[in-house]
Amino acid sequence: MIFGFGGNSIRINLKTQDIQRIPLENRFAREWLGGRGFISKILYDEVPREADPLGPENKLIVTPGVLSGHLAPTGSKCCFGAISPLSNGHGDSTVGGHFGPELKFAGYDLLIIEEIADKPVYLFIEDDRVEIRDAAKYWGLGSIEAEKLFKEDLGEDFEIAIIGPAGENLVKFACVSHDYGRQAGRCGIGAVMGSKRVKAIAVRGTRSLPTYDVKGTLDFTSAIIKRTAVHPNMAPWQKYGTAMFVGWANEHGVYPTHNFQTTFFDRYAGIDGQPLVDKLLVSNKACFGCWMNCGKYSKVQLPGKPVVFVEGPEYETGALCGGNCGFDRIEDVAYNNWVCDNTGIDSMSGGGIVAFGMECYEKGLITREQLEGHELRWGNVDDFEHFVDMIIYRRGIGDWFADGVVTAASRIGQGAEHFAVQVKGQGMSGYDGRGAPAMLLSYMTADIGAHHNRAWTITMDEDLGKNVIRGKAKVVVYLQHIRPFFDTASCCRLFWGEVDVTAEEHIDAIRLVTGWSDYTLDEAMRLSDRIWNLNRAHYLERNGGPGRKFDYPNARFYEESIPTGPSKGSKLSLDDLNIMLDEYYEARGWGKNGNPSREVLADLDLHDVIANLDKIGMLAELTTPLPQVRGERYKPKAF
Amino acid sequence: MTLYLKAGGMLREYLQPDVDVFTRRVECTEGLSLRDILISIGIRPVHVAMAFSGDRLIPLSHVPSDGETITLRPPVQGG
Amino acid sequence: MRIKVNAKACTGCRLCRQVCTMEKFGEVNPKKARLRIEAAFPEPGTYRPRVCTQCGACARACPSEAIIRDDRGVYHVDPERCTLCGACVEACPLGVMMRWEDGVPYKCDYCWRCTDTCNTGAITRVD
Repeated sequence: MIFGFGGNSIRINLKTQDIQRIPLENRFAREWLGGRGFISKILYDEVPREADPLGPENKLIVTPGVLSGHLAPTGSKCCFGAISPLSNGHGDSTVGGHFGPELKFAGYDLLIIEEIADKPVYLFIEDDRVEIRDAAKYWGLGSIEAEKLFKEDLGEDFEIAIIGPAGENLVKFACVSHDYGRQAGRCGIGAVMGSKRVKAIAVRGTRSLPTYDVKGTLDFTSAIIKRTAVHPNMAPWQKYGTAMFVGWANEHGVYPTHNFQTTFFDRYAGIDGQPLVDKLLVSNKACFGCWMNCGKYSKVQLPGKPVVFVEGPEYETGALCGGNCGFDRIEDVAYNNWVCDNTGIDSMSGGGIVAFGMECYEKGLITREQLEGHELRWGNVDDFEHFVDMIIYRRGIGDWFADGVVTAASRIGQGAEHFAVQVKGQGMSGYDGRGAPAMLLSYMTADIGAHHNRAWTITMDEDLGKNVIRGKAKVVVYLQHIRPFFDTASCCRLFWGEVDVTAEEHIDAIRLVTGWSDYTLDEAMRLSDRIWNLNRAHYLERNGGPGRKFDYPNARFYEESIPTGPSKGSKLSLDDLNIMLDEYYEARGWGKNGNPSREVLADLDLHDVIANLDKIGMLAELTTPLPQVRGERYKPKAF
Repeated sequence: MTLYLKAGGMLREYLQPDVDVFTRRVECTEGLSLRDILISIGIRPVHVAMAFSGDRLIPLSHVPSDGETITLRPPVQGG
Repeated sequence: MRIKVNAKACTGCRLCRQVCTMEKFGEVNPKKARLRIEAAFPEPGTYRPRVCTQCGACARACPSEAIIRDDRGVYHVDPERCTLCGACVEACPLGVMMRWEDGVPYKCDYCWRCTDTCNTGAITRVD
């Protein structure tokens, strides 16, 4: 028995219907920890480099990590991974709620789903029973309605991970939904699930999760609960969640507006957290074992539309489905959020791509005829909903957009690539990096494309100088190690970032549940570094090199200055981006071409990767010594 | 007049609490806005996403009264 | 002495269930907890904790007088006298007389671990 873990992995072949249960090995568990770590290693080892992300050889990996299901701050997460149809590289996305813990209570740390079913199915898991079942009844339904139906059919205490019509129709930014409004949203994992014809995974677990020191864990985390309950950040978090940052992001000129044309939306007051809480809030909704309850559950009815319930809008949705599409009423943003959730598209990439469509329409690059007689105006809910419908059912030009913003831009042509907001095919999160260069560097270098969760730097950018370029790369590297670590351990990052639960305390929790008394933060950070290099190598092996050529955003971010708002006039040049990349590669121990070096891979014991990169001539030569410590912790200091 | 400012997270490192682990006592001139007070003690407004007086959300333009306790919430480290 | 429920404040986190089983069974398995949370989603989107009120319906239903009230007013199951008939489980109006597999039924004995842990005010101790 391995303490801390469910103890088993399952390998499910959808074509042969073969289901293998394999005990989890302690060595593998400690080496890769779960979540993002398991995903990274298995994708690298098992998926052929030429495999189509939406073909039979790609694998869908579902894995709660070590802390999921435990009383820890807070073990609520579950990672979904696959080769991403957006980036054509390693993809992982994390969802909160109760799904990961439930898998562990059923005794599983890892599901590896292979091949393609010959008809729509769902996976039924109840402790030892693992079955591939017919899903004809549920296929075609929206995520929210189908989840409800599953619960009615199987029982309220089943936890469901599900795709909507977008995933079924292989929309490349489709998400996996859970608990009526939580999503493993990014990287298009929902499309991979749809390509395998898996509508849902339903799980119920009644096992005791093997835990090394139950009483120690109880005392340890109870003390943290007591301490953080009176933390000044706790009450505001509980009341407003993340929505309140719409105002802040505007006041500091980083808020994406009208498809990132500018970074200030003058009518933001209508879509901030206060109107959300005042007008729409039904209840506060928390993930498993979390006492911060940042989830806001809302109810909204627009004239002529059905009453809808939606979890959110959270900040990212409030940005990308809000001001980025020109919406100035919280009701509209909440409705857009519901449209994305129920159809099963990521509300971040979804908002981003609709905004791109809106800018194309504004510029006359797409016509009313192409929109089936509709328009695509900023801030119009009907237009938003209709366009999403065209995308998820791939009607007309909706088909181009369903394949992601890069494909859409190339089909539209006429210079649309310039404002197709993305890095490596992944649409950008809700912060504009022109007013915060390190944030842009974070997007440029993230393993999955332009996503904010690897490193978030806005306050640091302000501290070190809003338009300063040099000296920021090391901090981005540090953040790219510490922040994704929480996805590897499958716990929520917010307790670390927001209420002063230290990274060391998360390591203490890992020691208590696993009994690995010598586990250290250094070991965890080394794992982060290994994952990062492995994913980079994987990307290069799939897409060719040099790595540097993939690390640029669309041209808007280095050719246009910010026209309005607090960051007015901020502009980055291509030279600026190159300086940041040079510093970044150096801090990582990579070559100037952005490829990992033999030295860094050897230092991380990734010897198989050295051999693979060497074979295709992609090992970088270092011109400077390998930095022994990669990345630098940022300590804020009052000026 | 006297003002009590409370903060946690990264903001605490700027606030340098002296009353308890979260709270700093600040002596300031009456009539200044919260924004001005923050700047005068070395806190950039970018580090403050929200401010509360009790349960009530207040803007940075708020003019505090003597003895008031104000809680500052830093921005989410990436929504 | 009772547990006061404020359903509006419940966030469905199930911390109460988690700490309950850790405290009472020394196990990490919230399904075994001595209290429940009912979730009504997607509509109307609310949670309702169900906790023992020590109403005594279980004791009244027990044919073998195996459920005894202590001087705090808390009911306990005596495993020696229990015949495993299950009448108490059926009698409980709130569904919080618990049974795991075919074992002796068990119930909340007001250890207060859950109320000490809940920090939203959904369940609180009232003396």
